[in-house]
Amino acid sequence: MSTAQLGKPVGKPLPFNDNRHLQAHQFLVDEAYLLDAQDYETWLDTLTDDIRYLMPVRVTTALGAGFDTSPGMAHFDEDKYSLSRRVARFATEHAWTEDPPSRMRHYITNVRTFACDDDAHLVVQSAELLFRSRGDVNEAALVSCGRHDVLRRCTDQWKLARRTIMVDESVLRMQNLAVFL
Amino acid sequence: MADHRGALDNVLGNVRGGMIPAHIYNDKAIFELEKERLFSRAWVFVAHKSEIPQDGDYVVRRVLDDSFIITRDSKGDVRALFNMCLHRGMQVCRAEMGNASNFRCPYHGWTYRNDGRLTGLPFHREAYGGDEGFPRSSQTLLPAPNLASYNGLIFVNMDPSAQPLEEFLGDFRFYLDFYTKQSHGGLEVRGPQRWRIKANWKIGAENFAGDMYHTPHTHASIVEIGLFREPKAQKRKDGATYWAQCGGGTTYKLPPGDFEQRMRYVGYPDEMIDRIKRVWTPPQQQLVGEDGFMISAASCFPNLSFVHNWPKVLDSADGTDSPDDVLPFISIRLWQPISENETEVCSWFAVDSAAPPEYKKNSYKAYLMCFGSTGMFEQDDVENWVSLTNTAGGAMARRLLLNSRMGLLSDDSPVVDKLPAEAFHGPGYAQVGYNENNQRALLRLWADHVQMPPVSTATTALGTAAII
Repeated sequence: MSTAQLGKPVGKPLPFNDNRHLQAHQFLVDEAYLLDAQDYETWLDTLTDDIRYLMPVRVTTALGAGFDTSPGMAHFDEDKYSLSRRVARFATEHAWTEDPPSRMRHYITNVRTFACDDDAHLVVQSAELLFRSRGDVNEAALVSCGRHDVLRRCTDQWKLARRTIMVDESVLRMQNLAVFL
Repeated sequence: MADHRGALDNVLGNVRGGMIPAHIYNDKAIFELEKERLFSRAWVFVAHKSEIPQDGDYVVRRVLDDSFIITRDSKGDVRALFNMCLHRGMQVCRAEMGNASNFRCPYHGWTYRNDGRLTGLPFHREAYGGDEGFPRSSQTLLPAPNLASYNGLIFVNMDPSAQPLEEFLGDFRFYLDFYTKQSHGGLEVRGPQRWRIKANWKIGAENFAGDMYHTPHTHASIVEIGLFREPKAQKRKDGATYWAQCGGGTTYKLPPGDFEQRMRYVGYPDEMIDRIKRVWTPPQQQLVGEDGFMISAASCFPNLSFVHNWPKVLDSADGTDSPDDVLPFISIRLWQPISENETEVCSWFAVDSAAPPEYKKNSYKAYLMCFGSTGMFEQDDVENWVSLTNTAGGAMARRLLLNSRMGLLSDDSPVVDKLPAEAFHGPGYAQVGYNENNQRALLRLWADHVQMPPVSTATTALGTAAII
């Protein structure tokens, strides 16, 4: 369950006018549009082949308990293969949960970027609020989370190599996570 | 009032006949009756012992609106303590899990040992006149009215004079063992994932109890992406459903083979099969080895379910699909009622504690891909159940009796005969193919409970000799 030690951040966040920060920020915003549009095939191409995509289950613990995630349990604990199966499912005509599709908006904010001890990686932190509406009158659902990403420089673009999603609720108020964060 | 009772009798009569008044899936008055008459006397699952392995470990769980601290005290005994300070009623524990020798109320500092005993009462002598005013030494947090466990599954019952758990479970224990006893050490569980769905709690319980009919359609996408080969309509209907006393479930029919071959077919490694053979009884092994049935989903009345499937979760190294790549996983889940139209799903991953590390890792992966908050089976189920619940809340739903008579002819004789004992070695009764026998059995128990008088309860008054 340990988050792979890849891309160790060095020093303070990069200045907002640093080109690497601008590129990382653009990566997250472009990705948010792909996720809103459920363009998952394109999204898969923005992930490295060794992607680890993790969303632990958060638990309420006493101050000083030393942990606030459920030991050994996650909502998502994915690699490229399992993500590709999820995407392939949406391409079938029988993924009822997204037919009709949700209307979604992934709001990304509080972005900051850190250089890493190697030039090939950047660490990017962001806050995310997902608004998801299903049907005409069903109550819309929200998920709020913080993300810790590692981007890797690949030939002509950055790709996502690690993502840890720290959801802000212990009990999700969304009928499922047939969506990505 | 007589009219009211007449209307209820009518609803329950229809339910018993397999015609379900649609509004029972979204009706505030029905939910009040369920709280008063059903959950007040049912054995409700709260935790598995492996969640609190060490002395002092605790998890906090609810039975409807009541919060209980499920704790392993310093002597190793499991307790369920009502999470309410005896003084002003604060929750003495506001975390979900942890390890503590004491629980201290944040309001006035009353302190309880992890076995529930009141040990700290600030200014006991000055404020209460010591034991003469408030006999501290004999007080404890209210224990759950009834607490019992089976194979590490811990249940609470709100009725102090409830039927003993093992008696209640009865013949269903035969099937529970498949999920919860695969070695002498038993299960270890992780989680739960918890999320709230706008669906009535009964729908999930019914679905897991016996709905083989939905699998090929609802879960068509799972077969199409190569995740699970079994739900194909033709194969699914070869399975049997069984009902035994307080619960029932579904099975898949396995290809020919003996016990070991069939256990290997669903992905159990030989060392696990060896351990399983040491703890499953001969009839339990015959159900697989001779009858060829492998357990899949099941529900235990009222709101506890299990699932055991064997998907293909690993990418083949050579890019070819090999049928040998499948691997079983087990999930335990609770359909915790929040209201007539909302349920909190608590979904645990479970695996035999003695299983090899690589198996545990891959089985966990299989669980995440199939069930739980992100599971690809689960996603489509919940979409249906939310839609059903929504529609059940209106006036037209009160005019509609849903047909839940699959498997019965109009004279109540069965479409398919029960399997003879030599073709199905489990207790209760079983039959091959699609039917709604188990959903009806579950709802009959539901109807019986909803018709019972409320449980009479006593009031506990603390720290006074006065008779209340």
